[in-house]
Amino acid sequence: MASSRDDLLIAIRSAFLKKSTQQKFSLLTLVFFSLFIIILSSLDLKVIKFSKAVINEIVYRSSFIVSVPENLIKNTFTLTKDYTTFFKKYKKNETELERLKSSYVSNEITEYENRELKELINDYVSSSDKILAKIIVDHDSPFLKSIIINKGSKDNIKIGTNVYDQSYLVGRVIEVNYKTSRVLLLSDLNSNVPVTIAPQNIQAIVTGNGEDKGQIKYIKSGFSDQLVDDSIIYTSGTGAIFKSGVPIGKLQSFGESAVNEYEVEFYSDFSQLKYVFAEIITQTEISQVSAETDENSNEENNPLDAKLKILEDELEIIEESNKKFQKENENLKTEINNLNYKVLNLNNEISSQKQTINQFNLDTQELKFLRLNLEHGHKCRKSFLNNKGFIVGSAEYKDCVLSKGKIDG
Amino acid sequence: MASLRAKGSFLKIYYWLPMLILYISVLNEFDFNYLKLKYFSFNFPFILIFFFTLKDFKYFDYTLVFIAGLFNDTVVGLPLGISSLSYTLICISTAYLRNITIRPSPLKDWFYFLFIISSINSINYSVLTLFFSFDLILMNYLINTFFTFSFYIIFVSIFRYYLKGLND
Repeated sequence: MASSRDDLLIAIRSAFLKKSTQQKFSLLTLVFFSLFIIILSSLDLKVIKFSKAVINEIVYRSSFIVSVPENLIKNTFTLTKDYTTFFKKYKKNETELERLKSSYVSNEITEYENRELKELINDYVSSSDKILAKIIVDHDSPFLKSIIINKGSKDNIKIGTNVYDQSYLVGRVIEVNYKTSRVLLLSDLNSNVPVTIAPQNIQAIVTGNGEDKGQIKYIKSGFSDQLVDDSIIYTSGTGAIFKSGVPIGKLQSFGESAVNEYEVEFYSDFSQLKYVFAEIITQTEISQVSAETDENSNEENNPLDAKLKILEDELEIIEESNKKFQKENENLKTEINNLNYKVLNLNNEISSQKQTINQFNLDTQELKFLRLNLEHGHKCRKSFLNNKGFIVGSAEYKDCVLSKGKIDG
Repeated sequence: MASLRAKGSFLKIYYWLPMLILYISVLNEFDFNYLKLKYFSFNFPFILIFFFTLKDFKYFDYTLVFIAGLFNDTVVGLPLGISSLSYTLICISTAYLRNITIRPSPLKDWFYFLFIISSINSINYSVLTLFFSFDLILMNYLINTFFTFSFYIIFVSIFRYYLKGLND
């Protein structure tokens, strides 16, 4: 018994401490190293932060280089898939573009109005500048949903910077290095976004489900009955972590139970991201801005000028559509005239045909009279022997012939 | 002479191939996650480290395995040192198994591997949720453990071919 315990201890000691010829450190040293690093990385020291940033920079770049062949295969697959549905997508996009163009102008006006109102409420102007960032590492881990972008503190990226795919929110920056940053995607379990659900105007929190979708959490009891499919979800701006009014996704019901459960389908497909926009926000006090605007009142950046420009654009579009309508009206008028002329011609034709038919009827009657006249004319004609007859050509004579020689008493 | 030198460099690469694959896999997360299969994920580095440290492969340095763990943490976004600890624990467990085994059996190794990866994943999950307040889905860990265990046999047969080639 004692011997077997000794063997076990020897085996364990050997496993922990023995270094073979090739090994530089014993495994116990490495375990201590690991624990030391774990503790150090949880401390918020400047030196550790700097060292971490350096390691991150090196590893992210290396990961990007190593991922090149795999990304090439992935991109080729996606490209081939895109080409097969190219025409269908093109047609769909064309229609969508036409629709969006018309709503774009009015949206911009609303945006400017909103900005002005916000300036009045907050006493400061927040000007945002979206910078394009390339995704250098996008390993779709089953545990954590994050991406690495090629912009860092050098480009004014800060922790909490909102990241967009076009105008849709995709996440926020959680780790900043000098030239790279890590973005926590909305689909991650650790992501929490305060949102408004429209049109019901319900406030809630959207968290990621660890896959591709989100789930509604912390909704006031009773309000969940009001939720319907395709309700739009956008950021409410509560907590000032995310900018307000940024679209996120739409509600989709799932489950077959009597009470519908809802999940959030994000507008952006996080697995297909190649480039994203990071929004750098700078806040300026409103007094300074007014002074600056006084000095540079003629500058094009003035919001009033910009609004005016938008209105001019809108006017131009309206004029253009008016012209289009006028032209269309003229075309329609010409067409109506042509049709009227055709109708007149047809009427004339009908009346001439009616005349022909009348003439034919008259001729038929005459023929009938002549035939009967030959047979019964002698009975109706007034003569020496026929005192009751009528004078030839009179109406009575005609009636008599048509009634086959019968003379009414 | 030149051909001999070329052969020598090729051999060197061939010797270090497992380590090279380990680094590529941690930097690239070689686990087919991009296939978007809902209930599928596996941990290739676990299989690789377990097999080559169990075989006490000369060109599979513990320090390099430790550094690979740091790389993995950086890429995945885990707190630095977690994967290094996991990889080092695998090395310890294989060293222990080697010490206590007189007659090696692939089946025993396989089930020992299941025990080890389950323990390590449990430690990972506990540390991340308790000390770092991470929200994690336990089911994902279970699925990962299951597929890593299942794929072990397939990869082991490939690695055996590699070792056989080396001996020849």
